[in-house]
Amino acid sequence: MTEGLVIKIVSVVAQYGMLLWLLYFVIQLGTRMWRDLATVESSDAAGTVSPSGASLTVLAAEDESLVGRRFNFDRKITVGRGADNDIVVADAFASHHHAEITMRNNLYIIEDLGSANYTYVNGRVLVGKAYLRPGDEIRIGLLALKFAR
Amino acid sequence: MILYMGQKNYALLLAPLGILLCGLTMLSAKDYATGQLDFAYWPYLLTLIVAVGLIQAILRRIGADTWLFYCVLLLLSVGLVMIARLAPDLFIPQLRWAIIGLLMFLLVLRFDQVILKLTSYQYILGLACLTVLGLPLFFGTEIGGSLNWLVFGSFQVQPSEFGKILLVFFLAGFLSDHASVLKLPRYKLLFWRLPPPRFLAPLLSIWGMALVMFVVQRDLGSALLFFGIAVLMTYIATGMMSYVAMAFGFFAMSGILSYNLFNHVRVRLAIWLDPWADPTGMAYQVVQSLFAFGSGGVWGVGFGQGSPRFIPEVHTDFIFSAIAEELGLIGSWLLLLVYALFFFRAVKIALACRGEDKILLGLGVGIAFFLQTFIIVAGVTKFLPLTGITLPFVSYGGSSMVSGFILLGILAALSRRKNGGETA
Repeated sequence: MTEGLVIKIVSVVAQYGMLLWLLYFVIQLGTRMWRDLATVESSDAAGTVSPSGASLTVLAAEDESLVGRRFNFDRKITVGRGADNDIVVADAFASHHHAEITMRNNLYIIEDLGSANYTYVNGRVLVGKAYLRPGDEIRIGLLALKFAR
Repeated sequence: MILYMGQKNYALLLAPLGILLCGLTMLSAKDYATGQLDFAYWPYLLTLIVAVGLIQAILRRIGADTWLFYCVLLLLSVGLVMIARLAPDLFIPQLRWAIIGLLMFLLVLRFDQVILKLTSYQYILGLACLTVLGLPLFFGTEIGGSLNWLVFGSFQVQPSEFGKILLVFFLAGFLSDHASVLKLPRYKLLFWRLPPPRFLAPLLSIWGMALVMFVVQRDLGSALLFFGIAVLMTYIATGMMSYVAMAFGFFAMSGILSYNLFNHVRVRLAIWLDPWADPTGMAYQVVQSLFAFGSGGVWGVGFGQGSPRFIPEVHTDFIFSAIAEELGLIGSWLLLLVYALFFFRAVKIALACRGEDKILLGLGVGIAFFLQTFIIVAGVTKFLPLTGITLPFVSYGGSSMVSGFILLGILAALSRRKNGGETA
């Protein structure tokens, strides 16, 4: 009788044990992944993700001699008429701080900084931010740039 | 990510072991009561456990992702326990396949630089994929109603499982090279924008191959899987809905055509629409599977307490029904959550990669697991017409186990920092 009871108890415990271990795993991994999501940005800033490097190539500009020039950058590049930009455009259609491209999670995001004449990505007006893909064409005033990485 | 580098992940490593030991304890208790205790599997099990311990240390040392590996271990342990319970004769073979799988996983990690460069040989890969998938047409043997097996002496191989790997590599190479061309709106047909036909041809031949697999080899599951992988990866690479629309058009056309031409397609659909028309004949498997889900209820009848052996092929394609019967809605949900976490992690690793071909490769592998799980779970729950395919890492099957571990190895290789990935 006692032997039968022991077997019964052991098998019941083992049955519930399986479910509990399963639940435990999902909770543990779930919380780890959740926390991991929150730490991505800080690890980006700390430079643990090595920048992969991207470039902008001039396709067209008011000054023909600039065509074909390449601007390499890692994390951030800004375009505008102001002298503090990375790419300074002497163009009446460009705003002082026209647009900027930043890297986040190893993807590049272009943002229009409230320019008067808009930023065009692949011929469309850029509203707010957008992810850039290699080969995208960016137009700012008379300047046309091709994004590559 | 980096914050958790040093943190011990023993909890995640312990859970799979816990499930395995609980399940085997339960089975031993049952066997002890009937007096047929058998511990012949222990040497294999110990080998597996030691191998797992070594591999997780290697993964940490080379800076590859470990969470994916823990997910797979959990799935593997649930699968092993279920197989020990459903088909005790196949428990040792399955343990052996798992060990072989781990070896393949190590090999992929060892030669990861070479393997990841393979995407440059896209057309060779494409041809190899078509050849591998076409082999059963000429040399195939029919097992379980589908002509998708190659028999070498005493063991059988399912080539479509390995074709899957080649397909993901081919698509990653081809699409990353041709994405800009495929995006060219060369021809306009109403609202469709189509690229020049010669860039479409490789995609069309993959779709066509899926159709042949479906119609001639009667391997509906793999056909759906291949088609789905091709469509999703094309959409990811190009971002154009035209391709998705085109694929659905192709799918609808071929579906209607094969429904009218082939009897086995009509039978499949009839079973799906109304399994109760012939519950003891054609629809026996699906009906028994539905009974299993029903009798399991929310909490399940308890591991080892159900009667899932009424379902034919319960240890391979229908293992999810057995899990749902014995561990209930809760257990099957948790198992699906593990698949979801696995997919989430795979996507994260893929997006952190450098180079478009690697991103596509990682996403393709993730999609392959995700779609395969979806197709078979949808099949056994009668959400979609039944399609025979394995539940990754859980079902019994050597080909599926080995190809699963190769794909896992590719994801782990992509997660290494020298390949541009992040680690945890």
